[in-house]
Amino acid sequence: MRRIWAVSTNTIRQALRMKVAAIFIVLLLVLLPVMGLSATGDGTLKGRLQTFVSYGLSLTSLLLSLLTIIASIHAITSDIEQRQIYTVVTKPIRRYQIILGKALGVIVLDIALLVLFGGIVYGVTSLMPRFLNASDEEVQAARNEFYTARASLVPPVLDVQKEVDELYARLVKNDQVDVIYPNMTREEVLKQLTNRKRLEKRAAAVGQTLVWEFRNVKPRDPNQSLFVRFKYDVSVTPPDEQVYGAWQVGDVRQLQPGAQQMQTPILPVTRKDTVRKFWELEAPASVVAKDGFLAVAFFNPPLNETTVLFPLEDGLEVLYKADTFTGNFVRGVLLILCRLVFLACLGAMAASFLSFPVAILFCLVIFVTGTTSGFILDSFGYMSENVSLVYTYTIQGIIQLLPRLDQYNPTTFLVPARLMTWGFLGQVVLVLVLLKTTLLLALALLIFSFRELAKVVV
Amino acid sequence: MIMDYAIETIGLTKIFSDWWGRAKVYAVDDLNLQIRSNEVFGLLGPNGSGKTTTIKMLLGLLHPTKGHALVLGGDATHPKISARVGFLPEESYLYRFLNARETLDFYGRLFGLDAKTREMRIEALLEMVGLKAVASRPIGTYSKGMARRIGLAQALINDPDLLILDEPTTGLDPIGTRQIKDLILKLSERGKTVLLCSHLLGDVEDVCHRIAILYGGKVQAQGQVKELLQQTNKRQIITDAVSDSTVHRIRQILSDAQAECEVTAPMEKLETFFIRTVVEAQQQAKPTSGAVSTTQIGDFLTVGSGRENILDKLVAPSVSDKTPAEPVRTETVQPRETVIPEANKDLLRKLTETSGSPRTERVSSPEGAAAQPVETTVEARQQEVKKRLLDQLTKDDTAKPPAQDGDSGHA
Ligand SMILES: Nc1ncnc2c1ncn2[C@@H]1O[C@H](COP(=O)(O)OP(=O)(O)OP(=O)(O)O)[C@@H](O)[C@H]1O
Ligand SMILES: [Mg+2]
Repeated sequence: MRRIWAVSTNTIRQALRMKVAAIFIVLLLVLLPVMGLSATGDGTLKGRLQTFVSYGLSLTSLLLSLLTIIASIHAITSDIEQRQIYTVVTKPIRRYQIILGKALGVIVLDIALLVLFGGIVYGVTSLMPRFLNASDEEVQAARNEFYTARASLVPPVLDVQKEVDELYARLVKNDQVDVIYPNMTREEVLKQLTNRKRLEKRAAAVGQTLVWEFRNVKPRDPNQSLFVRFKYDVSVTPPDEQVYGAWQVGDVRQLQPGAQQMQTPILPVTRKDTVRKFWELEAPASVVAKDGFLAVAFFNPPLNETTVLFPLEDGLEVLYKADTFTGNFVRGVLLILCRLVFLACLGAMAASFLSFPVAILFCLVIFVTGTTSGFILDSFGYMSENVSLVYTYTIQGIIQLLPRLDQYNPTTFLVPARLMTWGFLGQVVLVLVLLKTTLLLALALLIFSFRELAKVVV
Repeated sequence: MIMDYAIETIGLTKIFSDWWGRAKVYAVDDLNLQIRSNEVFGLLGPNGSGKTTTIKMLLGLLHPTKGHALVLGGDATHPKISARVGFLPEESYLYRFLNARETLDFYGRLFGLDAKTREMRIEALLEMVGLKAVASRPIGTYSKGMARRIGLAQALINDPDLLILDEPTTGLDPIGTRQIKDLILKLSERGKTVLLCSHLLGDVEDVCHRIAILYGGKVQAQGQVKELLQQTNKRQIITDAVSDSTVHRIRQILSDAQAECEVTAPMEKLETFFIRTVVEAQQQAKPTSGAVSTTQIGDFLTVGSGRENILDKLVAPSVSDKTPAEPVRTETVQPRETVIPEANKDLLRKLTETSGSPRTERVSSPEGAAAQPVETTVEARQQEVKKRLLDQLTKDDTAKPPAQDGDSGHA
């Protein structure tokens, strides 16, 4: 361990000597505060904060990612090219210890830089309200919708298998399948039917009520608010594009016959909102029952002349404050660290058998495909029909091995102030760090251990 | 018996092939070397004869195409073995951004040495290679010979049992060269093994017990230096500057014995002259931004006892008993040592004498040692040694003598 650490400290010095490192660090030190001043967003305090956090963290993450790739590759290839490795491997140190030391050095440097830049971003976000002399109203809005970490509850996906099967059987019996769904395979028809059935469960005809029940709702503080975030869709768009909704939020079990007297309040709200847009309905967190039960009921009043439905993906969710902004921010920074650890080991792996420029190219390709892997998976998905077998076993396999860096992005949590749970972070650590990184590292150690270090390739 | 040899190669072959896998260069071809423990072995050969390639294979930097190599009875890449090996590559491949002290510290840490040992050895080695005054400059700014010196120091930090030197004297000034030769002899006296690669024949001749001459990756000649070079049909007589008539009489005697003879006034060797000039300059304390030449050798290398040399103690006696190679030093080298200027010679003796006292005393006050310019007079030096001994007796190990801060020699 002492020897690994000796290599690590040397690697840190080596990395800091690199001009790229110096440039990136200076760039971040200058850009972050400037961004803090110039970020405007939609003009509100919340908008500014969101823009700054989003750009600030993205920039930090991007530059540190590039720095990590370059530093970890440089640490190994420069030793081989400039032959310092001759004097190092002939000392009583195992080759795997050298690679571990190099990777560890880069990671330690990353941690230090993340603490520094994360600290700057955090500092600017917390000082921004005072700096901008924001009005109380704006501060309050920011406090509710930015300086917080809100857990999101979505209604469970309903199991409609049985109904779909029945419906399909009926269609087959009546020979209607090809009439209604021409040129479709059985799977595609079933999929359509499933969606239809599910949507039916989230539609309220005039005079009907929909009830969603949530369990395990744990607001941090009962004096805070919780938010029902919803989006209407309609079968017939009203002339003013607005519909009425009569909502009840609370423990509706208390309304059932035979229940005791009311323990928690039930909030009734009636409002009129534009369709196909997100709205948030604020309720005190005290409406949640002691056992964490919460129901949201929507009544489609006769004032409307259309069926109202809530789209499947994002039609309705309940947001409540579950943690502080600070906690969420720390997890966000740790998420970036996971990515950097992965990249450091990726760099070490590439450098264990490639020369500097080639290794850089290799890592950049992986980094870019990793950050856009969702897009790539989708585009492959479209062309998959013809090549499906080949595709499933090769390309998809490879893409599965890629890091899904696009999903591990802290701004998707911090900008809408959504709670990033420790569970999610743990999962990333498990998959990205423990599994993929260990795989890469093992590969690097193996290749490096058998490599002929003094071989000159011209 | 494997353990009898410090280095043994069996049919060692290295063929460099090109990108297509076609054999191109037979860099080393079926090499069988046996280097005994406590031997100074010279590997000679013209450029491109495969010396460096051989060393790289010994140390696991290259994989042999055929055959294998044993170093200290095992595989040199094993930490247990490499902990006992010191290696100076062809060029000093070091981290340019580290300074001399940091470099040595880094390599010391790779050996797993604890902080106290490291500090002690670093000071001793810096003193020895004469880089103390420039120890805080990054190595990238060093001249070639200065880099070479720090490379040598790096190879010695673990007090190795086997020292592998690839052309150690290239780029070194004559004093440095002289010093390396002295060092090799000292190490050999202590039971260490040295493998020396060079094409500077003079250097090899001075220190090596046995040599092998490589050509085209094959051994062309091998044997003891004494035997290979002795001219059995000639004798040499060196006298004082006697008068012409005496010379005439000698000629007479020799011609009676049917022998020819040649009489000349011997020239001083350029090496001697150079060393004297530089030492004089140093005594006048002329400023230099380069290495300071000393003939000192790191204490921990020359002192055979001490707590960290247990391994040494265990190995040394048995090895020297077995060693068949009688040091040739007494015949070939001793006469040359007379060329060392008087002051320096005394100094060397002084050093070896003081080293009789427990080593920890001398080196545990590195600041004190550091402050000592080499070219102080013998009397001053003796005073100094006495003073330091007194200091040692009265003070804590680590306390540095404050009085000596002021008179640091080269500043
Ligand atoms: N990596 C390599 N690829 C191809 N050929 C090589 C390689 N390294 C060495 N050689 C060749 O092997 C031969 C031996 O080289 P080596 O470096 O061992 O010579 P050397 O005896 O150390 O020479 P010098 O005295 O110049 O240092 C040379 O012909 C050289 O060109
Ligand atoms: Mg060579």
